[in-house]
Amino acid sequence: MAIEQELQAAVKAALPELDCIIGWGPGPDALRDAPLFLRDAADADVLRAGFFSVNNPALFLPEYKGRKIGVLVKGCDARSVGQLLLEGLVRREDLFVIGFPCSGVIDAGKAAALIADRCEAGELRSVREQGDSIVLEGPDGAFSLAKKDVRADKCERCLFPNAMDADLFVGEKRAPFAELDEYADLAAFEQAPLEERMAFWEKEMSRCIRCYACRDACPLCVCRDQCVAVARDPHWLSQADGIRDKLFFQIIHASHLAGRCTGCGECERACPMGIPVLLLKRALSRRVETLFAYRAGIDMQGRPPLLTFSLEEPRIKERDW
Amino acid sequence: MRIGVFICHCGSNIAGTVDCAGVAAQAARFPDVAYSTDIMYACAEPGQDAIIEAIREHGLTGVVVASCTPRMHEPTFRRAVERAGLNRYMFEMANIREHVSWIGKDMDANTNKAAELVRMAVAKLRLNRELTPKSFPVTKRVLVIGGGVAGIQAALDAADAGLEVVLVEKEPSIGGKMAKLDKTFPTVDCSSCILGPRMVDVAQHPKITLYAAAEVESVSGYVGNFSVRIRKKATCVDWDKCTGCGLCTEKCPSRKSYDRFNEGVGPTTAIIIPFPQAIPKKASIEREFCRQFTRGKCGVCAKVCPTGAIDYDMQDSFVEVEVGGIVAATGYDLMDWTVYEEYGGGRYPDVITSLQYERLLSASGPTGGHVRRPSDGAEPRDVVFIQCVGSRDPSVGRPYCSGFCCMYTAKQAILTKDHIPDSQSYVFYMDIRSPGKGYDEFTRRVQEEYQAQYIRGRVSRIYPSRGKLVVCGADTLMGTQVEVAADLVVLAVGGEAAHGAPQLAEKLRISYDQYGFFMEGHPKLKPVETNTAGVFLAGSCQGLKDIPSSVAQGSAAAAKVIGLLSRDMLESDPQIAQVTVSRCIGCGKCIEVCPFKAIQEIDLRGQPRAEVIETVCQGCGVCNATCPQGAIQLSHFTDNQILAEVEALCRF
Amino acid sequence: MAVMQGKELRIVGFLCNWCSYGGADTAGVGRFAQPTDLRIVRVPCSGRINPLFILKALTSGADGVLVSGCHPRDCHYAEGNYYARRRLEVMRGLLPVLGIDPGRFEYTWVSASEGQRWQHVVEEFTKQIHALGPIGRFPDAPELASLGLGAG
Repeated sequence: MAIEQELQAAVKAALPELDCIIGWGPGPDALRDAPLFLRDAADADVLRAGFFSVNNPALFLPEYKGRKIGVLVKGCDARSVGQLLLEGLVRREDLFVIGFPCSGVIDAGKAAALIADRCEAGELRSVREQGDSIVLEGPDGAFSLAKKDVRADKCERCLFPNAMDADLFVGEKRAPFAELDEYADLAAFEQAPLEERMAFWEKEMSRCIRCYACRDACPLCVCRDQCVAVARDPHWLSQADGIRDKLFFQIIHASHLAGRCTGCGECERACPMGIPVLLLKRALSRRVETLFAYRAGIDMQGRPPLLTFSLEEPRIKERDW
Repeated sequence: MRIGVFICHCGSNIAGTVDCAGVAAQAARFPDVAYSTDIMYACAEPGQDAIIEAIREHGLTGVVVASCTPRMHEPTFRRAVERAGLNRYMFEMANIREHVSWIGKDMDANTNKAAELVRMAVAKLRLNRELTPKSFPVTKRVLVIGGGVAGIQAALDAADAGLEVVLVEKEPSIGGKMAKLDKTFPTVDCSSCILGPRMVDVAQHPKITLYAAAEVESVSGYVGNFSVRIRKKATCVDWDKCTGCGLCTEKCPSRKSYDRFNEGVGPTTAIIIPFPQAIPKKASIEREFCRQFTRGKCGVCAKVCPTGAIDYDMQDSFVEVEVGGIVAATGYDLMDWTVYEEYGGGRYPDVITSLQYERLLSASGPTGGHVRRPSDGAEPRDVVFIQCVGSRDPSVGRPYCSGFCCMYTAKQAILTKDHIPDSQSYVFYMDIRSPGKGYDEFTRRVQEEYQAQYIRGRVSRIYPSRGKLVVCGADTLMGTQVEVAADLVVLAVGGEAAHGAPQLAEKLRISYDQYGFFMEGHPKLKPVETNTAGVFLAGSCQGLKDIPSSVAQGSAAAAKVIGLLSRDMLESDPQIAQVTVSRCIGCGKCIEVCPFKAIQEIDLRGQPRAEVIETVCQGCGVCNATCPQGAIQLSHFTDNQILAEVEALCRF
Repeated sequence: MAVMQGKELRIVGFLCNWCSYGGADTAGVGRFAQPTDLRIVRVPCSGRINPLFILKALTSGADGVLVSGCHPRDCHYAEGNYYARRRLEVMRGLLPVLGIDPGRFEYTWVSASEGQRWQHVVEEFTKQIHALGPIGRFPDAPELASLGLGAG
């Protein structure tokens, strides 16, 4: 499609100045693109960017710190880049940020469920975008699905579909289609009695296999090999196969992302067991937004709220004993 | 690890509500505990000896003492285990007195709680590591803040011991409240005659640098090496040129200025030398009264000054000094007595404060030592003194006793009789508080020899009537109402912490109480120390006190500073943050949050890493709570140690 | 030596050494009687408190957690309590979504001179936790659960 070709041309033009450009290319099946690391302009033709470009390329930036890197970003990816910049984990002058209007990305799980009676994702020959639909070429012929039925939940909530602070923006910026309360689902969840909420996590975490895919997919989990989850000193977690420790890892993850999580949802997408681990992080994002009027990766003035303070905290209502 | 546990009875202080032997028996079953016993007084010599002996006999490698608060005896026991050959940090305390036996009477609950606190201490101790302090050089200079009698004493003692002293006084002259007093109790000797020579000593001492009309702007650094920024307020007079001749004060046309030194008893000029014995004897301009500033023209002082010292454009300037120790001696101020409507709330000119009365009595005061009442200049005959104005009065938020008012009131009654032989003094009092050498005798003398009439009771109302002030009160001994028609009423106004004391406390990082008085390190055993190493207290800033006590505390604070700075090197507390470089990812978050700039970025094979500057780190642990992967750990309070304490509680 | 059944609940306190631990000492010196549920962990500064300590306690069986530090502007380390205030306030936002009543965690400021205030805080907080009752527990790994029972 047109945007993809424009992006391929842009990448070709930019690549001579850069060590590498990170975008998307063909993935394991037709529903999913995979991260692509372009070093040769001749390979630019395989570059993809669109409804199937789910992965967050910001994940790879910190390890490239110090090298000139180009990166294609959706709106949510750009927030991760922004937060990495604010924390000094990557340097602006090292980056060439290429934005494009994102119309949401696929939730491959939702799509797989919808086509289950026809075929498996791996059997699809091709998939392409057509306006508000996607057209899938299955073993028994072509059929289409409405994008809104297979779109990731985070896209429905997304208020920033266009990459901010891009060096180059290809295509027309679009308005967000989200108008609902970003945290309405969280509020609904908290309507349930405390015991039910606890039971929810007990049930969800019982499926956790401690693979840490959630962590490994998180662009802001920059500790990587030094993660406390596997450290003995400090020893926050036992290695025992208990729900308490599994849940506590999610608490640690959320706590380390407090005021940093941009809600890109890669943790939840990466979870092979489908555990809704983003919810905890969003609870803290909502809190940070309420207390400090700060949205990670958006508000680039000042310092991340938990790395600073003010003498008077107008939005904090301390208890009067 | 082989841990020894000692459960202290503290006489009956703990054993009265805790089954100490029972706790010891439970502790014996905790992990790694090799020896457990109860002991009568762990801190006494036999107790310490028993601990040392047990360490040797049972081959203990760590010790837990369950007794009082670690804020009290942790250093004591650390020294004890060190004498037995252990590293002093292989020791933990469980606070089973202040946090258990003294706050509950239920023996079962207390015993259970005490045992749990011991289990927490054992759990932490199992993860303790041997720590060794590092040494660093000290700056052999001391800052004294406040040039009242306490600060003067501290400055002179420290200077005489060979230390360089920087004395900062916010007023244009040192001398403080004592310089305003006419005479002192109980000897009735002249205040300025005994203080004056000390002030001169300060001026002439080669080791003392005096900054008058100056304030401490900011303090950074730590014990042994503080950096202090001092604001020298613009006096509009170049003190290097001013000779103190006083010509400017004679010629100044603005004669309605508030006289701060004389407590507003009579006006003064806009350019002033506060009093004849002022040190330094230099003029300064009070801008709010000076015509050059209020009207934009005058310039009389500049014209008459023989040395050309006047500089209307002078700005505040700053000096930076490095010091090893700090003495705070900021004194007190009188509380705002005008909240007392029953005393006229400040509307009656002949109701004055005791400090104003001192100025009326003083030969160097505005009336030349002739007692004249403010309203009409007449010599008063009947003088009423009211004590406890703003003392021992919770209704105005001043529940404490100011301590010195009973005595100075007695002195003022004596002086009244000396000045006006046919006068009669009346003293309304709550109790006469006169502990001290020769003090009680003094309050008797004023009644017996000087016929001052002491009336035990409060005054309910003062109202003016035919040139007099009618003082209505109760005589609670006689059970009657009393009315005295007075010519002058002197209020014994209580003291409060000097204005600005809390702000200074924040700069010094010392605690202060709800009245602004600075908190001493321990109410009994550390009366001049603070909880901030290297900062000491002298005089009324710590709590109201009279001259001898202030002088004594000034000397005591000086002795502490001299002791501190007598060493060439100080040992730094090893309870500081440490980076495990192999786990640091160089994200710099710890550097960003450190309140002391004690963490720096270093380069390790091309990668950024954090490094703690050991002598700068104060051990707060903010970095530790910030580092997501826990690569920076606060020694002795590591994540694992705190987690072990939490586990020791919550696991059960 | 478990929690005293029917009498006490498990309350963990994290107190800074310079102000609040001293305030608790002052309360003791003044013989200000307090409920016996609270166990105090002494830390140098409220800024040392990783909010995860509180969550660790609450998910490991603590019925309530109380944090106390120096009053704002009064921190022995100048700024630690300011960081603590932000972090603890943010962390509190995680409790409802986990199914933990936010009333099980409170923080406050108590100076070394405020023995009476400390008594008041302990009384109020203990009352609050007793009103909430024992906390719901996330199941522990079986091997760890038996460990706890065995060593008690």
